[in-house]
Amino acid sequence: MADQSVLDLLYVAAFFLGGLGFSAVPFIIVFFLAPRKTRNYIDKTSQSIECGMVPIGDAWIRFGIVYYLYALIFLAFDVDVLFLFPVAMAYNDTFAVRDFVELIIFVGILSLAILYAWKKGVFRWDRKIYKTQ
Amino acid sequence: MGSQNIQDAIVQFAPLDKLISLGRANSLWPMTFGLACCAIEMMATGASRFDLARFGAEVFRPSPRQCDVMIVAGTISKKMAPAVQTLYDQMPEPKWVIAMGNCAISGGPFVFEGQYGIVEGADQLFPVDVYIPGCPPRPEALIEGILELEEKITGSRRKSWPRVEAG
Repeated sequence: MADQSVLDLLYVAAFFLGGLGFSAVPFIIVFFLAPRKTRNYIDKTSQSIECGMVPIGDAWIRFGIVYYLYALIFLAFDVDVLFLFPVAMAYNDTFAVRDFVELIIFVGILSLAILYAWKKGVFRWDRKIYKTQ
Repeated sequence: MGSQNIQDAIVQFAPLDKLISLGRANSLWPMTFGLACCAIEMMATGASRFDLARFGAEVFRPSPRQCDVMIVAGTISKKMAPAVQTLYDQMPEPKWVIAMGNCAISGGPFVFEGQYGIVEGADQLFPVDVYIPGCPPRPEALIEGILELEEKITGSRRKSWPRVEAG
């Protein structure tokens, strides 16, 4: 029995090595057979943008993270709905007060997020101005 | 100014090189890249009526790093020239260039005394392998250009494909 499991492990190892070979060997072949360098005329070979245009500035810039408010609201309602679906499926099987109370607690806690967002002024439809630093 | 010579591979083995060049010739990947009206003919060539796929050259890649062939299809304005050169630089070796149409060959109808906006031919920017005359060239002409490039790569004409003499 032990021999069988060792054999199985060997199979797994063989297939693993085979897969590794299939992914690694092409790189090695290409390394030996490809031309060493590409011709270039204006030294743009390593430019990361591939549309020909010169990139303006850096991709690593700081920007105002105002979208988190929407994420917060989405999460509040989405998680509500997501977890209430299974509850709705099982709710009517046996009605118990404990289930109802648990539901109220769950929804109540999630509602705090909405209250928080309310306090932050998400529901007011006016232009928000954030200072960029 | 970078390296402008073709750098050879580490391992060179003539029969293998012939095999590799055969593979390269039969799966040329052009760049999705049109500069002017010749690009319309290039699109027609890639579409089903003229069907460039018969020659394995239908995979127009949107990134220069995946391309073998740059088909310079159209007028290269001086403002566009750095972008074209950048794309050429970004293509990995082996790479070939087809100058499609009179503009890409010599500037075409835009060449006159004192013109200031047009690069007079793609070969002012980088080496060109195949020139396809026409204004614009018909799709058949582009296909013939691809076949000429294949012939340049492998050293022989595609099997059983007729060579049409001009006449």
